[in-house]
Amino acid sequence: MQVLQKSDVKTGLRHRLQQRFQAWVKRRLPPARSVTLDQRRIFIFPSRVGFLFFLCLLVMLLTAINYQNNMSFALTFLLTTLFVIAILHTYANLSGLTIHAVRAKPTFPGQRSEFDIRLERSRQRDHYGLRLAWPESTECVVNLVQTDSIEVRLLTAVGRRGWYSPGRLLLETTYPLGLLRCWTWVDLDLHALVYPQPLPSADLAGLATQRPGGAVLPINGNDDFYGLRNYRPGDSLRQLHWKSLAKGQALQSKQYTAYAERNLWLDWDMFPGVETEQRLSHLCYWVLAFERRRYEYGLRLPGQSIEPGTGEQHLEQVLTALALYQDGSPPR
Amino acid sequence: MNAQQQIPRNALVWMIISLFTLAAPHVTRLPVWVLAVYGVAALWRSMVYRGRWSFPGRLVKLALILCACGGIYASYGNMLGLEPTVALLLTAFALKLIELAGRKDAYVLLFLGYFICITEFLFSQDLLIVLYSVLNTTLITTALVALHQPDQHRFNHGSLRLAAVMLAQAFPLMLVLFFLFPRIGPLWSVPIKRHTAKTGVSDVMQPGDISHLSQSDEVAFRAQFQGEIPPRSQLYWRGLVFSRLADGAWRRLRNYEVAPNERRPAPVTTGGEPLRYSVILNPTQQHWLYSLRYAESGQAGVMATADYLLYSPVELEDQYRYHARSWPDAVLEPELSDWRRRTELQLPKGGNPRTRQLALDMRAASASAAAFVGAVLAMFTHQPFVYTLQPPRLGTDPMDRFLFQTRRGFCEHYAYAFVVMMRAAGVPARVVAGYQGGEVNPVNRTVIVHQFDAHAWAEIWLRGRGWVRVDPTAAVAPERIELGLEQAVATEGSFLADSPLSPLRYRGISWLNSLRLRYDALTYQWQSWVVGFNSERQYRVLQKLFGQLDASKLMLILLGSGALVLVPVAGSLLARRRVHPLSPLDHTYLTFCDRLSRLGVVRNPGEGPAAFAERAAQALPHWAPLLQRLTGIYCELAYADANLSPTRSTQLKREFKRGLRRLKRARRPR
Repeated sequence: MQVLQKSDVKTGLRHRLQQRFQAWVKRRLPPARSVTLDQRRIFIFPSRVGFLFFLCLLVMLLTAINYQNNMSFALTFLLTTLFVIAILHTYANLSGLTIHAVRAKPTFPGQRSEFDIRLERSRQRDHYGLRLAWPESTECVVNLVQTDSIEVRLLTAVGRRGWYSPGRLLLETTYPLGLLRCWTWVDLDLHALVYPQPLPSADLAGLATQRPGGAVLPINGNDDFYGLRNYRPGDSLRQLHWKSLAKGQALQSKQYTAYAERNLWLDWDMFPGVETEQRLSHLCYWVLAFERRRYEYGLRLPGQSIEPGTGEQHLEQVLTALALYQDGSPPR
Repeated sequence: MNAQQQIPRNALVWMIISLFTLAAPHVTRLPVWVLAVYGVAALWRSMVYRGRWSFPGRLVKLALILCACGGIYASYGNMLGLEPTVALLLTAFALKLIELAGRKDAYVLLFLGYFICITEFLFSQDLLIVLYSVLNTTLITTALVALHQPDQHRFNHGSLRLAAVMLAQAFPLMLVLFFLFPRIGPLWSVPIKRHTAKTGVSDVMQPGDISHLSQSDEVAFRAQFQGEIPPRSQLYWRGLVFSRLADGAWRRLRNYEVAPNERRPAPVTTGGEPLRYSVILNPTQQHWLYSLRYAESGQAGVMATADYLLYSPVELEDQYRYHARSWPDAVLEPELSDWRRRTELQLPKGGNPRTRQLALDMRAASASAAAFVGAVLAMFTHQPFVYTLQPPRLGTDPMDRFLFQTRRGFCEHYAYAFVVMMRAAGVPARVVAGYQGGEVNPVNRTVIVHQFDAHAWAEIWLRGRGWVRVDPTAAVAPERIELGLEQAVATEGSFLADSPLSPLRYRGISWLNSLRLRYDALTYQWQSWVVGFNSERQYRVLQKLFGQLDASKLMLILLGSGALVLVPVAGSLLARRRVHPLSPLDHTYLTFCDRLSRLGVVRNPGEGPAAFAERAAQALPHWAPLLQRLTGIYCELAYADANLSPTRSTQLKREFKRGLRRLKRARRPR
């Protein structure tokens, strides 16, 4: 994705070549939730420092030849073969590592999503200086020393509503000598869900009453005790029904919803004439508002409806439905 | 600067260590202030690390660089020698350390360090220096490794281990390249020369010069004979012939002073079996090659002069190995040309009048030239002449003072006086300088010739016998010729008086002496096989090992040796023990899962054996009983093994294997 964007400004040939290359990489490294690195997936090439080292070797060789100095020859050749040995060591620093996709945290547009990945070693050797980054994410350099796995969190600014795909994860290392760069690009099949951008709308009440089953919005301040329900994480301390706890029962919360219609429905049709994305944004805004006030609310979208409820899981379900409206499948 | 570009503390410490180890062997060639720069650099950088001081600003850096260049120019008088260049490199290394901020700087610094390692070899390729440079290379590589281990905030030697291992792995291939790489001549003449002082016998000899040289215990050269080593009294290593006396000093004839038709040596008739020997001469920065009379070499790059010396047309900046054959009894120049006679009789007008008179008187009293020579030697023997390493200084008319007043002198005094007397009496004579004797190393039968073996003697020309060697020192101190300088000056106690730590002074301690001789033998092998490895030797070695060489054969050798080294290294790196080794039981269970996946039932991640068996049984109803049974066995062995008797356990394992074999034959359902 990223590479394609960059190449837009470049010539067509270059563009085609890169497309070809991407296609080749895709065939060679198909998406998978966890990837173990082996010779099919690891690339290696001298780094910039490696070329500087060659230059240094060349100067040393010229010195050795011009002074006819055998020990200078020996040192030059020792460093040359050190480079060759370093190829194996650099390769071994990536080989046998397994990258697992752990999770990608859903988020709102304009925020940074957290991508969690786990690196695991399969052989008993220490891995140093492993640099991880997605094309547009923060980068992270970790060691895998005296531990078999390590979890890494990378932050990426996400785009618009729907599934956000961060592209291929780059894992590279120049350990131990910095003369060679060994890297891989893996597609971890890890996508972050991006919710609609919450957008406040004018009065919802008028719109809501048009519904036959009429949702009357609760009026704050007039709350009466309504009943008890099981404690849910997040209930405030003032809500707790301490007496039941004292009796040895399960922890319960007091409900004050006297005037509230228990089944609030947020409906696609509440915002007539508003364009789709904006409509989703308004819905999102009200979902968040209701959740904040602990109302029970349902969602009706064309083709699907979610029964009223409240709490973290319900919120996630509702927001996911909004995020994926008309845009269901994860991008490839 | 991001986290990746920062320099771990561990790497910084290794860099500072290598900073000092790199400079150490150069210390004697460096001005003192460079060492001060080193101290300041290390201090400054560690203060920056602690956050007390800051990196130098651009102006400060510029000032430091200018000061360093100026200082080196002031200390050496120029910038274009090897010594100033090395000093400049070392100073640059120290200054780079001060401004060392990111990884890029570190790379430049460390690669510079590798190059400084090489410059050390341009001064010396001694075994010890080479071992020391191996240490240096390891330290720099350690710093390079440490640079790539982020989050190492404590000084540790984990990186040292890896660096040493990698260098050890690189070593065999280095040897292959060393032996195979073609030794072509210099691509261009090296503009940067050494300023090292000339060593050994110089081409001008004043009284006191050789006794001064005899204070040194350095090795001048090592010789190895094919066959018997001649007795030490016969080992007169001729280096220079002094035919001209001017301004109180003997010197060799300049090229232009020799008549054009006299520049080639007169033919010598040689007979009998020659002495065959090879010499490895340590660098002298001069031209002469030492040999026994009469020597021929036949080696390219070795020339012969009219006074029967071997000579190298280029200054010897590195150790030089040459082969020679000598016929000690050959008659040299039976007929003396007029020009040669005039030259070898020349004396300055005036000067040393009493000596001349004495010579004329003694010649008149002798029946022949040979008798006259005998009389002069007898004078040295019977009159109270003293052989000493600490001769008094002589003023004008030095021989008059020596012969009639001080009578204390070293070999050059006796040779000087003898030749002056010969010439004054009309006998052609000249002074020869070189080395006499040498120490025979019993370990490898080489003759080690030290600087303190430097000697001067005389050659006179007698009708019918040609040039004859006469050593007046032998008349004064025969033990010098028979036993060596140490015995000759034993009563005086002046042998190597200025170098109290020289191992040669402790030859009496047998274990120390045998250690020294063993090391010397090793040095000889090192010099002859490694340092002296040249295209000629390379050709011979390769031919011996592989026969006629061509490009494809060479390629094959390179690839073969590469594979021979790299495959085991790769194996050791990539075949480490797995983190979670599977038990044999789990292994067989995974085979079971494999078989099922071939039949189209793939176990999901996290799916337990029982659930999987259930699912598989549904998918493959024909095999259901077997699948359930095998899963049951696995669970029993895996979770209830402690309750099973060993025989029952073996029985179950066998049954499992049988089941697996049956499963292997199963076909995928259509």
